[in-house]
Amino acid sequence: MNILKLLLGNLIKGPATDPYPLGEAITPAAYRGRVAIDEATCVGCKMCEHVCAAGAIRFTEDEAGLHFLIWHNSCVTCGLCAVYCPTKAITLTTNWQTSHRQEDKYKQVDHATIPFTNCSCCGVRFLKAQDPLMLLAYKTVGPNEERLRDLCPQCRQVESAKGAKV
Amino acid sequence: MGLFGKAARKSPWIYRINAGSCNGCDVELMTTACIPRYDIERLGCQYCGSPRHADIVLVTGPITVGVKEKLLRVYAQVPDPKVVVAVGICPISGGVFRESYAIAGPLDAFVPVDVNIPGCPPRPQAIIEGLALAIEIWAARVDALA
Repeated sequence: MNILKLLLGNLIKGPATDPYPLGEAITPAAYRGRVAIDEATCVGCKMCEHVCAAGAIRFTEDEAGLHFLIWHNSCVTCGLCAVYCPTKAITLTTNWQTSHRQEDKYKQVDHATIPFTNCSCCGVRFLKAQDPLMLLAYKTVGPNEERLRDLCPQCRQVESAKGAKV
Repeated sequence: MGLFGKAARKSPWIYRINAGSCNGCDVELMTTACIPRYDIERLGCQYCGSPRHADIVLVTGPITVGVKEKLLRVYAQVPDPKVVVAVGICPISGGVFRESYAIAGPLDAFVPVDVNIPGCPPRPQAIIEGLALAIEIWAARVDALA
């Protein structure tokens, strides 16, 4: 009788096979898939490059700015970069559809550029703090903080010291 | 194309080589093939026990120095035409083992690779996706023979 019960149960439940590739695959919301970077919130602290277990993340620098590069064919999707990212610019998507032909092997790269800004006081190139970092550093971002934001680290030191005197 | 070619086109046999893998990818390959939830036989694929019967070769692991010669020997036993699939990031780039003294990889340095399935390990659905790509390549190669 048990086998009949099982058979009936199977009839009601339907097939246990995952619908993929004939239908949409079931992906858990917490699945650690392909890494994504938000260009607008990255502050170029290079912490992700430092903690990357597989050396998939690399930073290069040129006239245009700081370049963030990630090669997905080396990424182990451990999520360390996302954990240590101070502004949460790096996130792990649920995208697992990364199979590709050999000719696309070196095209599995994501690139983000963090532009340099010129200091409003001395004109030196520097990385301007992005909004999420400002909110981390200051509780409220007022006009004074906005002014300090446009200054390079050296000018900011001088400016802050002036403020301390008053 | 004879009857044999037509049948082979629809049912490539798969064979897996563990080239120093941590077994993560092998477990996923096992899951993909052996439990009904992922059921790779829907695509006509079946594991075979001997490289001489294989059509699609799945390689896992970063190709350690010790296993390199053995891998090449087994690879040479697979009859042509064959399709090579690199499963996991280890055979593709070396992954976390890259630049180690014990690693001879990546795989494409000595074996012509056709499909890459990145992931650490790739989930069964990703392996099915990569195998579907490999089957396309396989069918094209069989057609080219006819």
